[in-house]
Amino acid sequence: MSSAILWIILPGLVGLGLLILRRQGQFPLMAAGLLSLFLAWAAWQLPIDRVLSIGPFSFEIFPSLTIFGRSFTLSDLDRPLLAFIFLFQTLWLFGTLIAKPPRLFVPISLICVCLFVAALSVDPFLYAALLIALAVLLLIPLLSPPGQPAGPGVLRFLIFQIFAVPFILFTGWILTGVEASPGNLNLILRSGLLLLLGFAFLLALFPFHSWIPMLAKESHPYVLGFLLFFLPTVATIFSLSFFDRYAWLRDNGFVFQILTLIGGFTVLLPGLWALAEPHLGRLLGFAAMMGVGFSLLGIGLAGPQGVQIFFALLLPQAMAIWVLTVSLGAVWRKDSSFDLQSLAIFFRSSPLALATLLLSVFSLSGLPLLASFPPRIALFTQLSSSSPWVAIAALVGCLGLAGAGARILFASLPKAEKTRPGWVEEGESLDTGIKSDIADPYVWSFLMLSAIGLLGFGLFSRLFLAGVPSLASMFPLLFP
Amino acid sequence: MENGLLGFIVLLFLLGTSLTLLTHQDWRWVLAALGLQYFFAFLLILPSWPLELAAVKLVSGWMSGAVLGLTRLNIIKAPSDAEQRLPTSPAFQVLSAALVILVVIGAAPGLADWTRQLNLNQAWGGLLLMGIGLLQVGLRGSSFRNIIGLLSLLCGFEILYAAVEASLLVAALLGILNLGIAFVGSYLLLSPGLDPLE
Repeated sequence: MSSAILWIILPGLVGLGLLILRRQGQFPLMAAGLLSLFLAWAAWQLPIDRVLSIGPFSFEIFPSLTIFGRSFTLSDLDRPLLAFIFLFQTLWLFGTLIAKPPRLFVPISLICVCLFVAALSVDPFLYAALLIALAVLLLIPLLSPPGQPAGPGVLRFLIFQIFAVPFILFTGWILTGVEASPGNLNLILRSGLLLLLGFAFLLALFPFHSWIPMLAKESHPYVLGFLLFFLPTVATIFSLSFFDRYAWLRDNGFVFQILTLIGGFTVLLPGLWALAEPHLGRLLGFAAMMGVGFSLLGIGLAGPQGVQIFFALLLPQAMAIWVLTVSLGAVWRKDSSFDLQSLAIFFRSSPLALATLLLSVFSLSGLPLLASFPPRIALFTQLSSSSPWVAIAALVGCLGLAGAGARILFASLPKAEKTRPGWVEEGESLDTGIKSDIADPYVWSFLMLSAIGLLGFGLFSRLFLAGVPSLASMFPLLFP
Repeated sequence: MENGLLGFIVLLFLLGTSLTLLTHQDWRWVLAALGLQYFFAFLLILPSWPLELAAVKLVSGWMSGAVLGLTRLNIIKAPSDAEQRLPTSPAFQVLSAALVILVVIGAAPGLADWTRQLNLNQAWGGLLLMGIGLLQVGLRGSSFRNIIGLLSLLCGFEILYAAVEASLLVAALLGILNLGIAFVGSYLLLSPGLDPLE
């Protein structure tokens, strides 16, 4: 059996099947969730390209599958990444118990993940742009729910993502020319510009980020969170493939300086916007944009250290985005206006969801004791010597998001109402008919998982980040 | 379609279909022009790819047009370009298209010379479709027009990319991408009338 059959074709086929069975209650969720968990376990435990014996049976997972003359390769080095992707897909699936996204979410998310894995495994790796674009197309029905006209955000998102495809594919062809004549500065400049434009569209870098705040107002926050989690993660790992593949890119210090500059800018701007943002959905968008900025800063450090910091930043960021999205989904179920001013009413109805929301926002802003703090300290230590101004800009961005967290905290605290003179207060029941999430076992489990994930990551970072070198080893030339 | 009179005639037809796509208000004419555009793009791809592989582009393009056509047939109330922020008078559109054509005339010889794998007609045709597609996406606010613009843009890119890459997998994936865009366009057009419980 080929690894691509196990981690790409199987979930894809199950996703297609569940698309038909989506109205069968909790069955699609359980089937997809258990399959994702099994695939995460298989990636963790089953070696690729080695004969395995279970009793009298023996089998081998081959690393490659050839389709139309091109191969999809998932080798032993890719197993940590596969485990990461399917573990988080499991979390995203079971998070639907709280956030209640549209019914189509379960099958479509599974098919999307199979396309993302296909994108990371296809050889030549440039074709990943096409597979990512197909995943984007699949997400459109979730982002623009049936029963309402398509908003401008969905259209802009679709357009920008499709724009990325020609740039990246054409750059791939130019890069082979650069490889043949590395001294041709004209060719290097053209390929660099095209590549930058392609990834600016794909990663929603400024000024091509405008669809994120627009979509945040049009779509279900859980679907948007899923998109903002997987798309940048896969796209940044795809971008690392360029550095791993092309020596001239890897050895070019100027490229890393540009990346650092863009990364700093991508952390600073969303951080400041988040500070002034009254809409919680848009806050999620800005937090995700900051995550992309930090990923770029990690890559910009260059060399093995840069790749390690990139993956170290990715893990807590992924956890915090998931926690933030589930919390927002829980709040969305009660009030979809997402206005900061109306947050105080949730203090009574959704105290646990609000607590996890705050935990995730503070974690994303990099506060001490929380998950993002240890890798960010490592990043800032490196940046302070190589690019101090970028470090300061990134720090200001973090403070902006922390300020947004503080605003949420103050907005969610119940306001003491002044009693009017002459009125006699009567004993009044606090129960206003809204069911509190304290009685919800799913929300309690989610709170526990979030606390273990975000606080555990911050307090025992060595334990949680032990897998980073094995994740980084999927790029053998960048991380020898 | 090497450089020559026949190639020039194909380019003229391609220009005509592009202008129809951009300026015509009737969706039937727009989709007919899209179908013709895919045929002329197929003729431009033929020098680079074998017939059976180039036919993939033609068939996937026509299927995309058919998907959009069937969807529009089933919509009783036509969606309007309510969100447009720029003028949409034919004069403005033709002037915008003239600017794109000027840029294409200037850029195509350089591109053909630089890549060495493209002939001049392919460079002209590819850049023209990409430019007009970009214009369509930028000028119009409706889902239908945006989807037509994206299909046009991708069609232009496919002409250019076919000259440098002849992979079966790429042909298949680009074909699926074209069809996927058409299906997404169809969904976006139909979504206001669908069951919100999904």
